[in-house]
Amino acid sequence: MKEKGKPATQDISPKNSFMSASYPAGDGFAKAIRAVLTKALDDQVFEAVMMPLKVPKTEAFAWTLLDDTKLLEHASPLPPVMTIQGGKALSELTKHGELIERTAVLLRPCETRAAVELFKLKQINLENITLISIDCPGAVPLSDYLSDPENQARKFQDLMEENGDEDALRPVCRICDKFSIPAPAEGGMEEGGHAADVHIGFLGQKGKRLLLFPLTEKGRTLVEGLGLKAESPENSWETAVQTMTDARRKNRQAFNKDFLSRISGPDPFSEMFDACINCHNCMRACPICYCQQCYYDSEAIRLPSENYLERAKKRGGLRFPLDTLLFHLGRMSHMVLSCVSCGACEDACPASIPVGQIFSLVGDQTQSSFEYVPGINRLQPLPLQAFREDEFCEVEIPCECGEGQAPSEVNKNA
Amino acid sequence: MNEEFNPKIVGFLCNWCSYTGADLAGVSRQQIPPSIRVIRVMCSGRIDPLFVTKTFFKGADGVMMMGCHPGDCHYQKGNFYARRRYILLKTIFKELGMESDRIILWWVSASEGAKYARVTREFSDQVTEMGPNPVQKEIFI
Amino acid sequence: MPSVLNIKKGVEEGLRLFLESLLREKKVAGVFTLRKTNDEGAAAYTLITDPEHMQQAVPLYPLMPMNAGKALSSHTLGSASEAPLAAIVRPCEMRAFTELIKREQGHRDNLLLISVSCAGVFPLSSLSNGTLSQELPDYWESAQNAEIPAFLRPTCAACEHFLPFQADITVGVLGQKELNKECNLFLNTTKAEEMAEGAPGSITSGELETPEIQAVRKERMAERRKLFEPFTAQDYGLSGLVQTFAPCLSCHGCSTICPICYCTLCDFDSKTHEYQPTSYSIELDQKGGMRIPPGTLFFHTGRMVHMAVSCVNCGMCSDVCPVNIPVATIFSKVGDALAEEFEYVAGRDAEEELPLGTYKADEYSDIGE
Repeated sequence: MKEKGKPATQDISPKNSFMSASYPAGDGFAKAIRAVLTKALDDQVFEAVMMPLKVPKTEAFAWTLLDDTKLLEHASPLPPVMTIQGGKALSELTKHGELIERTAVLLRPCETRAAVELFKLKQINLENITLISIDCPGAVPLSDYLSDPENQARKFQDLMEENGDEDALRPVCRICDKFSIPAPAEGGMEEGGHAADVHIGFLGQKGKRLLLFPLTEKGRTLVEGLGLKAESPENSWETAVQTMTDARRKNRQAFNKDFLSRISGPDPFSEMFDACINCHNCMRACPICYCQQCYYDSEAIRLPSENYLERAKKRGGLRFPLDTLLFHLGRMSHMVLSCVSCGACEDACPASIPVGQIFSLVGDQTQSSFEYVPGINRLQPLPLQAFREDEFCEVEIPCECGEGQAPSEVNKNA
Repeated sequence: MNEEFNPKIVGFLCNWCSYTGADLAGVSRQQIPPSIRVIRVMCSGRIDPLFVTKTFFKGADGVMMMGCHPGDCHYQKGNFYARRRYILLKTIFKELGMESDRIILWWVSASEGAKYARVTREFSDQVTEMGPNPVQKEIFI
Repeated sequence: MPSVLNIKKGVEEGLRLFLESLLREKKVAGVFTLRKTNDEGAAAYTLITDPEHMQQAVPLYPLMPMNAGKALSSHTLGSASEAPLAAIVRPCEMRAFTELIKREQGHRDNLLLISVSCAGVFPLSSLSNGTLSQELPDYWESAQNAEIPAFLRPTCAACEHFLPFQADITVGVLGQKELNKECNLFLNTTKAEEMAEGAPGSITSGELETPEIQAVRKERMAERRKLFEPFTAQDYGLSGLVQTFAPCLSCHGCSTICPICYCTLCDFDSKTHEYQPTSYSIELDQKGGMRIPPGTLFFHTGRMVHMAVSCVNCGMCSDVCPVNIPVATIFSKVGDALAEEFEYVAGRDAEEELPLGTYKADEYSDIGE
């Protein structure tokens, strides 16, 4: 807050740019990342890393916590598929307390955002964790990858080199506009607000180099520990990111409009779940759904079986398993404000229901009502954990002023 | 076989018979291999097959279940159930090719100190011969 | 020779007619069966109380969206159904229900259990990848000839228990002639005969265990050995398991969908096996690296310890797995070994005790001595 007559506090970071350090990547993206991590571990910049490794003799990827640099030969920093959502994997690691070893974690941007939401939900302890996010072109659908891993890996590689076909990506990836560092807040992000500690960029660099962007104190420690200096913005990266963001944003708007028209209304919406078998894979895959026992699996929601026949008689029939729509709508009401559109749910669905797209769409709509973007600012409280007295009076009382008067004030004038 | 390999064997011993038998072996100065780590349970029927499974997956080179002879269980029938659980474990491990020989069951009564020493020595030798449990090196387990 | 209600209609139509008559005559208050949920081939189990809705019923549709044993258990959890119901379930679904009853998770009274001599179902993925609509037209002919259609669930192709145990009524499908003209309902119990009184059709007699059926069983056993081949003990072992379960997401979809896994909070989801920060530190120190979340093989092996003895080989677990791990193959292979060892068949007899819930004093006398 400016005091009259005094100059504004100096904003150190430039408003619309991020400073980066350059790292050679001529031998390939994965090799460069491995070199960075090996050096960091050898020099004890951190003591352990959590990242995806390719399981030897298979086409599968597994999150691995490691301190043995020899294991990095299997490293796959940005796999063509999302297996377990990275935010979920990190919460498995730290939900019971801070890690003993100083650990760096490599995540896709949506995994980083999920991690931040989980941090707000107290399911991740970020002490001793350095979050590293990476530019992400997207991921290919899990089922496509499983049926043809070699081809799908190649398509993904093309996308990494920025000359691939986005049709190969999952639907939620095609409309993702948060694949890099989130757009800087007006006036810059407050200290401690950044989602990731370091961001690694490669877009627009033609495979020549990696850009390391320190975003927090921890991030600066890491970059300096590698003997690097983040001194200059990189225009080629900023342009590439901006171009892709604009294109994706357009896609997203078009998708939201089109998909909304397809699922609006009780019948179209419930038809989306005609093939649902209530396996709850979507909930299990979702990073935000962290409850040890989901409410919708618990005794609380279970109606006595003596009521089943009565319920059946009301409409002439009762579908099993029970309460499919209730589960989806209920889960939505529980987590959609934190939905980061990662699409893990859609990959996990055995009935090929576009659940990621549905939740993504509803996420956009509900989050915007609260002017909330999940996971991009560690300091922004969860929408249902904060309130202002003078908000939403238009849904509470017929409000003549329309200017956000406190309900008590409106009452006085009524 | 690695000359320096000292196996870690976990033994679940029932209080009334086998634990007492092990104790007897000790005070009788019988030669007991240092590889055995004993966990006392009140009855072999308390041994949840997951105890054995988890111990195995945590890297134990051998797991022993011990109890009273059938018919002599302090709680009448605990060891009968333990015996069936042992068969369950052996069958599952064998069917998966998972070195089921690392799991063994012996009936040792309170007076069988010598038997305790003998079977633990035999098992320790056998496990040493087999080498370390491969799960110890397995990252993607 | 058991008595048979013969209806001169195609097998599914005849069955529908019979069920509708049970509803209209108020012999049952509801019929539990598969019903179409859309025009793209999806179906769901439904408790139908209005005879008009029976038109949408597809009782023998070759899809298993859930193991019906689980649904029957959910319906009869606290006590038996208060009103008589008819349920059409496949043999493995009936076996699952029986295994659940033994675990006090259901009650059979007041249920008319109708099963089939089963020709198998297609996997869930066949709905979205088009194989179901492709294979459906030839399904009934394959059933008549007791042939295995392409793309059938692997566990179905390798199933030896395609005749139900202890069903009130068995609908003749596998190996039965002229399924498009004849519906034969084998009445196995007095309850079935009572229900069939006054039903459309005529009572004859017939035999389900024909020589052809014996031959089918042999073929299925051969198919089973083939299915298990890649997992045979010699070269499988730990490294084989690691490779098979490498893509596992720890979603636990397999246990959620498994009819035998009924626990509201699974042991492997509870705090019991969770890692504390120190546990991670210790294991990292020992191995240099560890998979996150840890305990994938422990979960699967542990689940086998808990339920494989009652595995009914339905194959829901493989269907629901997002990464196509052949869970059902491995679990039913272990299930078979346990069945042989304990001379037990899951779901064969509701009076038979669970293997770990009983013992014989003089068995396994060579163990431990």
